[in-house]
This record gives sequence, C-alpha cells and structure tokens, in this order.
Amino acid sequence: MNVTQDLSFLHLLENASVLVQLVMGLLLLVSLMSWWYIFIKMFAVRMAVKQSEEFEETFWNNPDLVKLYQSSNVASGNAGSMARIFAAGFAEFIKLKKKHGMENSAVMEGTSRAMRATYQREMDNLESHLSFLATVGSVSPYVGLFGTVWGIMNAFRGLSNVGQATLAHVAPGIAEALVATAMGLFAAIPAVVAYNRYAHDVGRLSSRFESFMEEFSNVLQRQS
Amino acid sequence: MSAAVYAEPYKLPAGALALAVHAAFFALLYFGISWRAEPPQGMVVDIWDSLPEMKNIPAKVTPPEEAQPEPLKPVEPPKPVETQKLAKPAQPAEPHKADIELAEKKKQKAKLDEIKKQMEQKKIIEAEKMRAAQAEQERIRTVQAEQERARAEQAAKAAAAIASEIGKYKELIRSKIRHNIVRPPDVPDNARAEFDVTLLPGGTVLNAKLNRQSGNEAYDAAVERAILKSQPLPLPPDVALFNKFRELHLKFCPEENSCK
Repeated sequence: MNVTQDLSFLHLLENASVLVQLVMGLLLLVSLMSWWYIFIKMFAVRMAVKQSEEFEETFWNNPDLVKLYQSSNVASGNAGSMARIFAAGFAEFIKLKKKHGMENSAVMEGTSRAMRATYQREMDNLESHLSFLATVGSVSPYVGLFGTVWGIMNAFRGLSNVGQATLAHVAPGIAEALVATAMGLFAAIPAVVAYNRYAHDVGRLSSRFESFMEEFSNVLQRQS
Repeated sequence: MSAAVYAEPYKLPAGALALAVHAAFFALLYFGISWRAEPPQGMVVDIWDSLPEMKNIPAKVTPPEEAQPEPLKPVEPPKPVETQKLAKPAQPAEPHKADIELAEKKKQKAKLDEIKKQMEQKKIIEAEKMRAAQAEQERIRTVQAEQERARAEQAAKAAAAIASEIGKYKELIRSKIRHNIVRPPDVPDNARAEFDVTLLPGGTVLNAKLNRQSGNEAYDAAVERAILKSQPLPLPPDVALFNKFRELHLKFCPEENSCK
C-alpha cells in the first residue's frame, strides 16, 4: 500500500481488491437497472393514469356501448388498461347474449370473470419490475456493506506489517471500501422511494379499475 | 391480448435517462469532492539565523557613495598661501632706501617710509582679515560636507535596511513556493523555470506567467500550481514596500542551490 498516493476517485477504484471491485461492478449494474426501471415505470404509470381518466370520461359521456366498443382505439387495445378491461367484458357479454337460453346471472358471471382475467393481466403488467425495485432497495445496502467490510478488513490486514500504525496507512483502504457503501446506498435509496411511490400509484389504479368493473357490470345488468 | 400491447414504449428514453443520472452522480463524485490529500498547513517552519545572501544590497549601497561631494575641499588651501607670498616681499624693501645721502631727503624718505609702513601694515591687517574670513568659510564648508556625508550615510543605511527587508521577503516568498512544489518524477536537476508573478496587495497572485521554460512541462506546471497554492504570499508589513513586490521575477530549480 502506497501511503503517499493521491486519493483520486479513479485511483480508489483501481486499487480496490478484486472482490470489492466485483461488488462495486454489481452495484453499478443493479443501480443502472433500477434507474432504468424507475424511468420505465414512471412513464408507464403516468400513461396508465392519463388513459384511465380519458377512457372513464368517454365511457360516461357515451351511452352507446356498442359504438364505444367498436371505436378504433378501444378495439385495437391501445386506449389503456381500463379500455382493455371494458373491451374484454363487453365482448364476453355479447358472445353470451348470442347464446339463447342463458340465464341472466350466468351471463353476468361470465362477463365479470372475463373482466377479472383481463384486470389481473393488466395489474400484473403494471406491477412488473416493482419487486425488482423492492429487492434492490432492501439488498443493495447489504451488498455495499459487504464490500466495505471486506475492504476495511484488507486495509487493517495491511496495517499489521507496519510497525507504527498511522491513519495514513489505513485511510486509502477505508476510503476505497466506503465507495462500495456509497454505491450501495446510491442504488438503494432511489429504488426504495420509487418502489413506495409506484406501489401506491398502482394500488390506486387497481382500486379504480375494480370500481369501474363494478359500475360497468351494473350498466350491463341494466341493459340485459 | 397480444404481448405487443404490453411492450413498454419507453425503454430507450428510460435507459438514456438512467445513464444520465449515473453520469451526473459520478461527475459529482469525481469533481465535487477534492480527493487530494492536502498536507496540513502551518507545519512548514523556516528558520532564519542569518539572512540569505542579498543580491540587492550592493546596487542600493553604491548611490550614497556617489552622494558624498568632497571635490570642493582641495580648492581652499591655495588662497591663503598666495596672500602670504604677496605680503613678504614688501617687508625687506625698507632697509635699502634708508642708506641714501641727504638728511632732508632722509627725513622725507623717513616720512615716505612711515607712510609706506603704515600702508604695509594696513595691507598685512587686511590680508589677515582675508585669511580669517577664508578660514571661517573653509570651516563652514567642511562642516557642511560633514553634515552631508552623515546624511548620505543615514540614507545609505535606510536603503540597506529596505533592501535587506525586500531581500528577506523575496526569499520567504521563494521558500514558501518551493515548499509547495510537488516535484514530478524524471525532472533533471538542472531544470530551471522562471516565472513573472504579478501580485496584488495582500499577497494574492494576480498572474503567474512562465517566462522561461525549464524544458520539462510537468515541472513548469508543478511550479505554477505551487505558486497559486502558496497564496497569500508573505509580504512585508510596510505597505510602502509593496511596489517592489508588484512584479516579481522568480526562478525555481529542483535542487535548492543550483539557481539563486
């Protein structure tokens, strides 16, 4: 260990032991991925909220459900989660209606099953990657800590060869080890914040979808 | 529901944003924190039991020597000598004329002689007066010269004191800068970098210009960094002396004594 070295950032990364470098590389990768998902989710959730609002507005302003179902946006499935739930439910309702001799309650049950299936799929899609953020948030500090502990262990081991121990002998080792913790925290903090934020947003969307499904079932029951 | 519906359309912009966040983070780490190990300041002690050789003193001491105006002295002595010469030939002239025959003439001659004597005495008195006056003048002149010399000596002493002060602080500045030079590897010992440093009152460096390259760019850069790092440079407490420090020409060598 060279005592008089400059503590430049790149120097620290270069001089770290292999394991600490591995840890830091892993954390960098994890951090990149978590930020990637954070931005993907940000855009996705924002779009889902906007599309739901738009669809609800057109739905309540449009008494003619068939026309709404046939409108290009809804039919192609590009109008968002709520539109897709509506489309699945309405398609099932029409199919069941065409079969004669079906009881009304059976038609409604089939319709709500179809809607629930689509709802599950939509929720699964919205919630995807959230678990990754949660994992990163809870685990990466430990990974960083592991790297730090390892680095400090090495720093102190190097100290045993030196007769007179000064802070200058251990300082570079500790500094390079602490970089690992810093990176772990850098990966974890945004991941935790984003996870909480998006879990909350997705929960609100889910309750919104559920109440829409109930209301839509009521509308269909009235029409049947 | 096809899988294409769930394809997330924002993968690329999200990836770019994630990269941007990391770039910003690492830029902050790299530039935001000064990772350099700085030696504790104030631990550098210069011990001065004698002033280092003063280049400036001889230049300053010479003018007072010129200022001692003594060529006036040699002019004074000749004058009194001349007057004495004029007075002496007049005295031996009397006995020759006393030998002549006629008593009447003798009487007349005696009268004339007496008149001449009187004239002669008058001349001698006048000459003595002149001599006294001249001596007085001479005395005044020597006193003045003495005073002038004393004044010049005093001025020389003051100039020497100022010069020593200036030399001392120049040497302090040089040593402070030299302590801050981090000598890069592979600098030949005979490298010599010369800098023109412009100072502001208070010791702040306004400008440090490389005047003569040492041939080793790393060393030039190290010296320049050291100059900037040594701010504020030590300046004499006497503000009037600052003009001598406004423009400094400093030379630096890896070996302390190879250039002064």
